[in-house]
Amino acid sequence: MWGFYFNELIRSLPFFLKGLYMTVAVAGLSLVFGTIIGFFGGIMRASRNKPARMIVGAWVDLIRGTPFLVQIFVIFFILPGIGIELEAFPAAVIALTNLTASFITEIVASGILAVPKGQREAATASGLSNYLQLRFIVLPQAIRSILPPLVGQYVLLVKDSSVVSAIGVVDITRVGWLTVQRIPEGLMVFGLVGLLYFAICYPLINLSGFLERRMTVASTKL
Amino acid sequence: MLEGFNFRIIWEYMPLYMQCFAATLWLSGLSLFGAVVVGIIACAMRLSQSRILRSIAGVYIETIRSTPLLAQLYFFYFGLPSMGIMLPEWLTGVIALTLNSGAYYAEIIRAGIQAIDFGQIEAGIASGLSYIQRMRFIILPQALGNTIRPMLGQAIILVKDSSLLSLISIMELTRAGQVLTSERFTPAEGFLTTAAFYLIIYYMLKAFSGWSEKRLIFREAH
Amino acid sequence: MISYKNVNKWYGELHVLNSINLEVEKGEVIVVCGPSGSGKSTLIRCINRLEPIQEGELVVDGMAVHDKKTNMTKIRAEIGFVFQSFNLYPHMTALENTTIAPLKVRGFNKAEAEKLGREMLTRVGLADRIDHYPAQLSGGQQQRVAIARGLTMKPKIMLFDEPTSALDPEMIHEVLDVMRDLAKEGMTMMAVTHEMGFAREVASRVVFMDEGKIIEIAPPNDFFTNPQTDRGKYFLQSILTH
Repeated sequence: MWGFYFNELIRSLPFFLKGLYMTVAVAGLSLVFGTIIGFFGGIMRASRNKPARMIVGAWVDLIRGTPFLVQIFVIFFILPGIGIELEAFPAAVIALTNLTASFITEIVASGILAVPKGQREAATASGLSNYLQLRFIVLPQAIRSILPPLVGQYVLLVKDSSVVSAIGVVDITRVGWLTVQRIPEGLMVFGLVGLLYFAICYPLINLSGFLERRMTVASTKL
Repeated sequence: MLEGFNFRIIWEYMPLYMQCFAATLWLSGLSLFGAVVVGIIACAMRLSQSRILRSIAGVYIETIRSTPLLAQLYFFYFGLPSMGIMLPEWLTGVIALTLNSGAYYAEIIRAGIQAIDFGQIEAGIASGLSYIQRMRFIILPQALGNTIRPMLGQAIILVKDSSLLSLISIMELTRAGQVLTSERFTPAEGFLTTAAFYLIIYYMLKAFSGWSEKRLIFREAH
Repeated sequence: MISYKNVNKWYGELHVLNSINLEVEKGEVIVVCGPSGSGKSTLIRCINRLEPIQEGELVVDGMAVHDKKTNMTKIRAEIGFVFQSFNLYPHMTALENTTIAPLKVRGFNKAEAEKLGREMLTRVGLADRIDHYPAQLSGGQQQRVAIARGLTMKPKIMLFDEPTSALDPEMIHEVLDVMRDLAKEGMTMMAVTHEMGFAREVASRVVFMDEGKIIEIAPPNDFFTNPQTDRGKYFLQSILTH
């Protein structure tokens, strides 16, 4: 039977590639939007403006404190109730962007706060505005400690994207779920699913580790 | 949305929620215990002298970290029966959660041990403490101090990850939201109540994390 | 008390200890100095085998440290070692730092160990700091706790590896005072240090090293006023002018 199912699985490969494409699309869009929003969130979280800090902090806690699956259900099932009809795909991108942005906010904020206070004081003393301080003094230094966990976060993003299969987005995981109804060899089908995720995530994990080593060396040279 | 929010339905379903809240707690608790045990063993293997043990632990950890939990869950859920192993759903879920978090715990413990300054080990050697005494009195207490925060962070992730068990029909908090939604067509009441219960667990673990951090007074200078 | 006979050690290509011969008598205070990378730290780290030697004989209090079969625990229990970076255990109070070895290595009971710990912390002038954690102490205080930790072993020998070079200038003297008192009480000591005032006052002999070799061994006054080698002269000039 194994041989027969194996051939069946090989014949389903185009279907899996479509799933792979969907995973990359959902994760890729969320990565771009999430990173942009996350940087703004992080700058607000590390700012001297207390209400901004607290609002962003409450949002981060809300997202960190609840499972992503529940967040997707809320966006996909509840938003229509207040008049926002969403297809599964945009709902998935919104949910994943929101999740990623909240984590990147924390990463960026702690990166900014890790820059020694004296740097800002020196910049203030030479008359740089808040924006200029951030742009030319703080962020370039913070980026060293931001980059490795940021790439690590992208790995989580790809993995978390598997959960959007629950609202019917036909990504790699959903393709596996549909295929296993036809080819009842769970190890084989989800072995292939795992392999496809591995192909995306493993290089990213190594990139994160590499950046971490690079950045540590670079900062000790400072 | 909120003007139509029906608290009476939530109250009606409260016994179900409490039962499912308990289920989430014990499923996560059991998996947490298993994951720490697996993590300690995998970490010991990864740091051992034997090349074979190191490789086995390495493959396990990298595979888990590079694939989504949901794919792992389906791998066991559909895969074990195809090998003729029939387990109750909850046990399949606990196994998947245990093996998943176990890999992350292995990395957390390893980082905690490797973060200890080598001078600490030398000081122990110079006072004539044996290997076991150095581990027991100097290395492990400090590793625990280094790791308590990431350990609790992983526990929070584990509780949230347990929501995926709802996708293989295990009754827990997220499933309770799905039941309420499908029986009464009230997704807002269903999923926001579920989210509130997760937030209770999240804030409790977060407070505990902050408290334990304060107790470890010596860390403040580092 | 400590006897090096033709001791050699390499780090890969680097000959870090080159044919070392040195006899240290009981009650002597030896100050080891030399440029960085000269092997001076390695010289004393060999004594309790923090680093093993590869050739030659090293005998400490009648026990052969070069012999792999020698049980080092007993030797280590008789030697106090003070590190440049203190290496206090951050999760233990000052008192716990000093009592861990007596409790676990010597097998003292808790009351005995604490009595001894208090006594030694008092001796280094920290009677009022016994329940503080290292993070709550200044650098000088931390280093004095480290010395007290060494002393609770009731050691026959005290070794110091650049004990003051991680300290702010105003804290150096409090550590040197403690070391000076120890020297005057007749403790056998070897100290790697560039504190020449200390060396002049209490050292029996100064050992000057460069590139893994002992270049000169002389009483402090002779070495400081009239070094016999060019390298010794050059070294003294560089530390005196800085």
